[in-house]
Amino acid sequence: MTDPHAPALQCQNVSVTYGPVTALNAVSTTFGAGLIHAVVGQNGAGKTTFARVASGLVAPTAGHVAIGSRIMRGGNVAQARAAGVELVHQSFALPPSFTVAEAMEFGATGTGRFFTRRSLFARWRPHLESLDISVDLGARIRDLPVESQQGIEIARALVTQAKVLILDEPTAVLSPSGIEKLFERVRRLKAQGVTVLLILHKIREVLAVADTVTVLRAGRLVDGPLMTTDVDGARLSRLIIGEASRGFAAADEQALTGAGTVEHTSTVGEAATATPVLKLSNITTFVDQEGPALQDVDFHVRPGEIVGVAGVEGNGQRTLVRLIADFARASRGEVHLAGQNISTQSLAQRRSKGLRIIPFERNTEGLSLTSSLWENWTARALLEKPLLRLVNPARLRSECDAALKAWGVRYDNVAQKAGALSGGNAQKVILSREIDPDAKLIIAAQPTRGLDIGATAFVWDALRKARDRGCGIILISSDLDELFDISDRVVVMLAGRVAGTFTAPYDINAVGAAMIGVS
Amino acid sequence: MIARVSYILRSLVFVVFALILCSIVFQIAGYSASLVLTNVADGAFLRPGALAQSLRWALPLFITAVGVGISFRAGFFNIGAQGQFYVGSICAAFVPEWLSGAPAYIVIPACMLAGMAGGAFWAFWPGYLRIRSGTDEVITTLMGNFMAGLLLVYVTSGPLKDPSGSGQQASSRPLEAAYRISTSSGLSVTIIAIAVVVGLAMWLLVNRTTFGMLASLAGRNPVMVRWQGALLWKLGITSFLLSGALAGLAGAIELMGPNGRIASGFLPAHGFTAILIALVANFSVAGTAITALFFGGLASAALYLPVMAGLPSAAIDVINAAIALFITARSKLLDKILRVGGRSS
Repeated sequence: MTDPHAPALQCQNVSVTYGPVTALNAVSTTFGAGLIHAVVGQNGAGKTTFARVASGLVAPTAGHVAIGSRIMRGGNVAQARAAGVELVHQSFALPPSFTVAEAMEFGATGTGRFFTRRSLFARWRPHLESLDISVDLGARIRDLPVESQQGIEIARALVTQAKVLILDEPTAVLSPSGIEKLFERVRRLKAQGVTVLLILHKIREVLAVADTVTVLRAGRLVDGPLMTTDVDGARLSRLIIGEASRGFAAADEQALTGAGTVEHTSTVGEAATATPVLKLSNITTFVDQEGPALQDVDFHVRPGEIVGVAGVEGNGQRTLVRLIADFARASRGEVHLAGQNISTQSLAQRRSKGLRIIPFERNTEGLSLTSSLWENWTARALLEKPLLRLVNPARLRSECDAALKAWGVRYDNVAQKAGALSGGNAQKVILSREIDPDAKLIIAAQPTRGLDIGATAFVWDALRKARDRGCGIILISSDLDELFDISDRVVVMLAGRVAGTFTAPYDINAVGAAMIGVS
Repeated sequence: MIARVSYILRSLVFVVFALILCSIVFQIAGYSASLVLTNVADGAFLRPGALAQSLRWALPLFITAVGVGISFRAGFFNIGAQGQFYVGSICAAFVPEWLSGAPAYIVIPACMLAGMAGGAFWAFWPGYLRIRSGTDEVITTLMGNFMAGLLLVYVTSGPLKDPSGSGQQASSRPLEAAYRISTSSGLSVTIIAIAVVVGLAMWLLVNRTTFGMLASLAGRNPVMVRWQGALLWKLGITSFLLSGALAGLAGAIELMGPNGRIASGFLPAHGFTAILIALVANFSVAGTAITALFFGGLASAALYLPVMAGLPSAAIDVINAAIALFITARSKLLDKILRVGGRSS
């Protein structure tokens, strides 16, 4: 067994700045060998930058990283890998058209010969089997579920005898049972003497798997590494949130930090009998360019109700949004908005009936980053008018100014480009545009992805207020804590079908089972 | 507003850079750079009567360039202004033939409408192909230029051939004086009025209508506008049609105004200069007016140089090319140089 006191990875006063932004600020910490270390913090705390500095991908602007006793030059992946540090990225970097065996060979060292399918299989099968990863070596990466892709990424990182394995937010794309499997794998690696650094953002996961925990906030080291046996969820939660924690309701705080299971109290009363604001009856779509086709989907949202859509990403959530937005076509079934059949109507017509969308991709589908705030903000209102209507830009600008102020957006002036705003502020601009008094059905697709805790809580409040006013809301998220905290009902999607419907109190195991099709 | 002014000022800096580059070229070629440049300035603006001559070139260029700006703003790189200008002038040239003898107040507007229709048609099919099947409009409009050039050769040596022509350059029969909107000097109240009306109408359209605002939003990010419910094809095809129609209108003006006829290969640089003007002006209508005057001045100086100063008119081509070079390069290297310079000063 490795001496737990010997440092595997050390950071000395590491700072990283990107232009005017300080991503890491004088972080000094030491990770002991042979342990599972968690690094936690909210979005924007510097976790990913930390992983990149440690793995040699990003050079620190000040300070240095040492592996074992060797000081790294910084910004040199080859050197870090030679010293035994491997990084598994948050978004996987496997070539989608490669087979498993080809992907393993790709980037591996030591061969410059011709390959045969058989020689590749022979080379990689034992390696994958030794890690207990059971996949068909001839399968294409793009056809594999995310759990298997991640397994292969890890296997690839372990080809060279890695001493330190860094996983950047490995749980973000996994179902609850996938997370459990990942943790087992990590524990086995620890038993083999590998030091594992997990970048996480849920306290529950930290306490379940890690030996130590290190908390980052706004680029600074808050505390750590602390032994997880010495801390509890409440303390970690305070460390992660910091000063802002006083303002949050207990349930929100738990959901924001993933500290425990959230108790959702449904507020739906008379709404259960109201006409659904959205009703999909027996919908089957054609094959869609951005995801699997929907199959026999029955789905409804009543006014004053938040319906959460759970599921591992890529199981038809996008197709669902695209269908309601008239981008994906149904081969069968009908779409009803507020009691009217809108199956053949354009998005503009649907929007005029109260459909609002907070799209998946904030920076492309939601905003034009190179356009001014007021142009972005007025786009919806402009589209309700005929094409040749005269407009008064000065008035639009002042309307936009008033609206953005009311929503608490931080900006200099409305002529500023949307690209100059932070993620949270940019999302507020979209909210102020899409949550207006005429909104009846609001689709919020991953509305808090990448946002820090304050902005996330803001989005939740905005959605709750819209619900209390009688809007129907569809919340699509891959964060179950978020879904459980604010949804009145949760629908699970699997391979384009509705795999289950759940009401509060939610059972994370039951939802997790539905996400991967185990009943 | 401040951003726009600084943008135009920066564009002017590039023009200065271009002139410095040209001076070097002139010196190497054995001409005194200061002599060439002062003569260009004389020919364009300073000598008596120069402004009227510059306006003669500037006004049609302005009309075409405004159209180019509209399609560029909407995100469509319609570089077929030259072809649309030719087809517009061809369609316009048939009108006086068919309506020969009709009063001018019928023929002149009909001529203008025919020019606009012809130009719009020559922009429609690349636009349709782009929106329908994603065909790159840069390729189709560029090819359209060659086709229009050949069509002009055919028309001027076939249906509209002037039998008394010299044979040097095939051309159409000269227009009856009654249907001319200017003398050969090329400037008249009518042409100025048309340019002013076009300028005001297009300024209004671009800056003060839902179409103008949505089209420029779509030019910067079509995906976002689509998620707002816009029908991109509608914005796109309208932009194509408008830009073609304006180039065609300029064709009709050149026909009824200074030229009085169409000739094969006439004004071969019109559309491309207009693209350059639109780029320098960053597609703003007001900016286009100022820039068009500058390039109109250069066009006028191109005629003045060999005659009055004994200098080669190719000097103007060099200047145009240098400006084009710097304007297309500005987003990258020179911007960086300027920013570094600005910071250190």
